[in-house]
Amino acid sequence: MAEFEPRIVGFLCNWCTYAGADLAGTSRMQYPPNMRPIRVMCSGSVDSVYILRALLEGADGVFIGGCHPGDCHYVSGNYKARRRMVAFKSILRSVGLDQDRVWLRWISAAEGRKFADTVTEMTRAIADKGPSEFRELWEV
Amino acid sequence: MAVSGMLKVKDKNPEATLEELLAGWLTQGKLSAILVPVLAKSGAAGAALVSDADRIAGTAPLLPAMAVNAASVVRDIAKLRSEGTKVGVLLRPCEMRAVVELIKLRQVLADNLVLVGIDCPGTYKAAGFRDVAGTDSDFDNRHVREQQNYYDNPNLRTACQVCEHPKPMVYDLEIGFLGLDPDKELWLDGATDKGAALLEGVELAAGEEPGQMQEYLKELAARRKNKAETRIKELDEAAMGPENLTRYFADCLNCHNCMRVCPVCYCRECFFDSENFQRRLDEHVRVSKRKGLTRMPSETLLFHLTRMNHMMTSCVACGICEDSCPAGIALLPLFKKVSGNVQAEFGYLSGRSLDEELPLVGFREDEFTAIGEG
Ligand code: SF4
Ligand code: SF4
Ligand code: FES
Repeated sequence: MAEFEPRIVGFLCNWCTYAGADLAGTSRMQYPPNMRPIRVMCSGSVDSVYILRALLEGADGVFIGGCHPGDCHYVSGNYKARRRMVAFKSILRSVGLDQDRVWLRWISAAEGRKFADTVTEMTRAIADKGPSEFRELWEV
Repeated sequence: MAVSGMLKVKDKNPEATLEELLAGWLTQGKLSAILVPVLAKSGAAGAALVSDADRIAGTAPLLPAMAVNAASVVRDIAKLRSEGTKVGVLLRPCEMRAVVELIKLRQVLADNLVLVGIDCPGTYKAAGFRDVAGTDSDFDNRHVREQQNYYDNPNLRTACQVCEHPKPMVYDLEIGFLGLDPDKELWLDGATDKGAALLEGVELAAGEEPGQMQEYLKELAARRKNKAETRIKELDEAAMGPENLTRYFADCLNCHNCMRVCPVCYCRECFFDSENFQRRLDEHVRVSKRKGLTRMPSETLLFHLTRMNHMMTSCVACGICEDSCPAGIALLPLFKKVSGNVQAEFGYLSGRSLDEELPLVGFREDEFTAIGEG
């Protein structure tokens, strides 16, 4: 059997994590290619529906990258994203879905290293978990 | 200035006594109209906006049947700013809680409303209520008279069987009878100026809220809490994990009734009905290719989980969603469990207070600081 390659969907804030990813790239840092990045304007704009759709369609993990607290381009988007993540994870736990397949991290435009390390860390963690059960479950 | 006291009940008929009180508010011009539960001649249980005092006699302020959560009606009639009218809304505790959420969500303007909350020992499903009540014209009174029987009545709506909040928490005026002998007296508590104004000229035996009301309430809440916990435990065993959750919603038709009747699911156009959510044929094929096949109608579980994310902080566990589900899915226990968990994260209880900030609107810089830090 081929080794399991996690598929991770990444929602990256344009003003910080996306630029951090760019920096990691231009600095030729090595990290696993398992994350499919999607540029968004703010971590606060990532509605739960997008995270859930990715998970239910079989993504093995979902990553959201935002600006550090206090640095959101729109002042409070990341604080609101944080609260929504509290609710989101509480709901996942309540219905028995794996909350650790969803990561929210603050990574600035200057933190290319942190971006590469976080993707590496997440890819490993998800690889350890194995494929999402929703990969096979078509009747959702 | 707050005013409270006991209202004497005439002829062992609390419902007629209340009707007289309500009619008085209309004849004295204290209110232009009032929203009251009714049982129509056709047998339909619902609510009516009554402006003619003479028509109050045909209403049923103590009706123990629930067709809709009347907060949905309040949302429909009191969303726009209005001048020179004052309307009373007689609401059960879960309806009042939903109205409180809607006020905070800016979907109800309370300026011209007087919130009249009434105790509730539990309700029956509106569908089939005719058969329950039969021809007993005293049914409503009997229901509040025999309130001890409703501790554990298995015929009540499932939401009511596990309801821990049978008394309104926010109100201008409360009409209370839980723990009292409603053939003799009703407790009226005008907590605000608006509420007190309705009691002007009404003969009340002044006094404190009687202790037996609190005692009864404690007992009722404890028993129901117990039952709720049992239900939730059953659910923990039945609905957990991808497979079981999918099975839980296996019969879902994707009709979205549960959302349309939900009092706090207020968006005029749901995201799920929007253009954003329409997929082209080629996109459907692309999605299908991921798993080789996709269930149709698609994304039913996505709908339910998203709905939870959008409104669980305001869910009042009224169970109207479950009553309206044509597939008979046991929505209430699941929503009660999930909303309870989510609200607990923020120390919030939906509908408890107008001053408590909605959890997904506010934030504090120094909270949940571990999130995002890895
Ligand atoms: S989700 Fe169901 S129980 Fe909760 S408020 Fe809406 S209709 Fe009532
Ligand atoms: S009312 Fe029932 S069948 Fe219709 S969408 Fe809701 S859960 Fe599904
Ligand atoms: S702009 Fe980056 S999180 Fe809001």
